[in-house]
Amino acid sequence: MTPAREAFALPLTLLTVVLAGGIRLTTPVAIEPPTLFSLVLASVLTAVFVQSGVVDPTRLLRADRSALANLNGLLAMLALFLANAQVISRLTPDTGLPALGVSLLFFVTLLQLGAASLERARCLRVWAVTLLTAFVVKFVVLAALAGPADRPIARALQVLVDGLTFGSLTQPAERPAAGYLAFAMLGTYLLGLVILPPVQRRALAIETGGGRQEIGGRR
Amino acid sequence: MSEAVVRAAGAGVTIAYAILIAWLAASQPQSLAEVTGGLAATVGVYEADAVNFEAGLQLFRQEQFEAARTAWSRADPAGRDARTQFYVAYSYYRQGWGRLSHDDALYAAGLEALDRAVAAAPGGRVVVSDPGLQMQTADELRAELRGGITREWSDLNPARVLRSRK
Repeated sequence: MTPAREAFALPLTLLTVVLAGGIRLTTPVAIEPPTLFSLVLASVLTAVFVQSGVVDPTRLLRADRSALANLNGLLAMLALFLANAQVISRLTPDTGLPALGVSLLFFVTLLQLGAASLERARCLRVWAVTLLTAFVVKFVVLAALAGPADRPIARALQVLVDGLTFGSLTQPAERPAAGYLAFAMLGTYLLGLVILPPVQRRALAIETGGGRQEIGGRR
Repeated sequence: MSEAVVRAAGAGVTIAYAILIAWLAASQPQSLAEVTGGLAATVGVYEADAVNFEAGLQLFRQEQFEAARTAWSRADPAGRDARTQFYVAYSYYRQGWGRLSHDDALYAAGLEALDRAVAAAPGGRVVVSDPGLQMQTADELRAELRGGITREWSDLNPARVLRSRK
C-alpha cells in the first residue's frame, strides 16, 4: 500500500461514508451519529474483517513503522470502525418491527461470518449481500409503505398494512433523495473495504528440477 | 514529495475532516450559509454585514418588523451575530406584543433568536446600547418573552391593560 493511499484515500473514503451515512434528509435536515447498537456491531464486524483477512492491522500499525506511519494506520482503523458503525446505523430502519428485524439480520450474519471464518473475498461478498438486503428493505420496501400514496388504491393498501401491523412497520418519511444518498454511501463504503490492506500470505515455493513453482500466496 | 510529508499532510487532512464531521453533527446546520458562517465563527472571523444590518435597523424603528428581519437575515445568514440576533428577538417581541394578549408563536420565535444571540455572544452575555430600546440586555428581554408565554393569574389583572410596550 502506497503512503498516499494509506494517508489520504483510505481514511478520507471511509470518513466520507461516516458523513454521508449520518445525513438524514428529513425536515429539518439532521446529521446523526451512529446508534449505540451499531457501535457494538461495528466492533464485532471489525474483528470479523481482521479474522478473515479483509484488513491486516499489522500492515497499518507495527512497531517497526515510523510514528507518522502508525498515526496514519491508526486513523485508517478508526475510520474503518466508524464507517462500519455508520453503515449499519444508516441501513437499519428507524423504529418498530423492521428495526428489530434488520438488527437481528446484521447480528446473525456477523455471528455466522465470525464462526465460518471465511477468506477475504467470500467474507466481503457475504457482507455486501447483507448490506444490499438491508438497503432494499429500508429504502425500497419500507419507503414505499411510508411514502406518499398518489392513488386511492395505494392509500388504501397503506392504511390496510398500517392497521394490520398496528403501525409497527411505519417509518419516518425521508425525501426520495435519501435512497440515492444511501446507495452512494454504500458504494463508497464497499470501495473503501476493497482498498483496505489485506492479509498477505507468503507463497510456498518448491524448487524442482524444472525451476521454481509457487503455491498459494496472497489471500 | 517525501513520504513523511505525504503522511503528515494525510494525517492533518484526515483529522480536520473528522473534526468537521463532528462539528456538523453537533451544530446541525440547515443551509450552506450556516455551514460557512458557523465555520467562520468558529475561527473568529465571522461578521454581520453592516449595510444590511443598518437597513434592518431603520425598518425596525419604523415598526416594519418582518421587513427588518428579512434585512437582518441577509446581514447575518448564519445566525451567528449576537447583536443582530438580539434585534431579531426584540422585533418578535414588539410585533407579538398586545395590550390584552401576546402572540405566543412570535414570542417563542423571539426566544429562539435570543438563544442564538446568547450562544454567539462571548461569555453568553448580550448587552446592546441603544437608547430606543427599554430592554438592553438579553436577560431582560428573555424575562419579558417568557412572561408573555407563561399563563399566570396576573394575566387576569385588569391593570395590565395600562402596561406599555418596551
